[in-house]
Amino acid sequence: MPRFSRSPGGVRVELDEDEAGLLRRLVEEMVSLLEANAGPADPVVDRLFPAAYGGAEPEAEQDFRRYAGSELERLKLEGARRTASDLGETGPASLTLDEDAASGWLALLTDLRLAIGTRLGVDEEKMARDLDPRDPEAPALGVLHWLGWVQEEILHHLA
Amino acid sequence: MGSTVVTPQRIDETGTDQDRAPDRPWLVIVHNDPVNLMSYVTWVFQKLFGYSREEATKLMLDVHHRGRAVVSSGPREKAETDVFRLHAHGLWATMSKSD
Repeated sequence: MPRFSRSPGGVRVELDEDEAGLLRRLVEEMVSLLEANAGPADPVVDRLFPAAYGGAEPEAEQDFRRYAGSELERLKLEGARRTASDLGETGPASLTLDEDAASGWLALLTDLRLAIGTRLGVDEEKMARDLDPRDPEAPALGVLHWLGWVQEEILHHLA
Repeated sequence: MGSTVVTPQRIDETGTDQDRAPDRPWLVIVHNDPVNLMSYVTWVFQKLFGYSREEATKLMLDVHHRGRAVVSSGPREKAETDVFRLHAHGLWATMSKSD
């Protein structure tokens, strides 16, 4: 079980080997996705880089995409790589997140959850449903909920 | 909405005529999504816009129950910056002209 607590330096996070391993794999997948620059055909990319003008102003949208899109991609990549380095290469992870680092983790955990949620096409009903082990989507939904729990714990101990 | 609502104070020379209408600022809108946690959305509103916990919670609940809420407003440039910051935190945000 991961343990979270508040310390003078920030939020203490302790993940066992399995949990740290899962998070490493997800972060690695996110880095690959961002590096691949899949473009707007991928619904996950669409969700991570939403339209600013909601289709109402195509020209302004293009301008926004041009200057903000690459900056957003850079920020997200930087955040994912920083978390990968926080987690280390193997074994359990034991770290203290100061406010900046905790913010970065929360944003990254959000992106991971958005990616999984978008792939699964979740809606409010599916999110609220109890997990059924016979459901082929149960493992991914379980990961989605676990990431949400880590996020809640960090938020709780940050406040 | 308190201190985060910015009234346009200067005219952007490169802007369109619409930008010159000080009574019609751009609105930054956050849309509901099924994935983001209520606690996280509330925290983002507090962090980015300086809302109190009560104000941020009220806005979050508006997003949740009504599907969307206006979280800030101002000239085009400010609205774009706010949309960018919300996207950087994984929230689904758009901007549009107020009616």
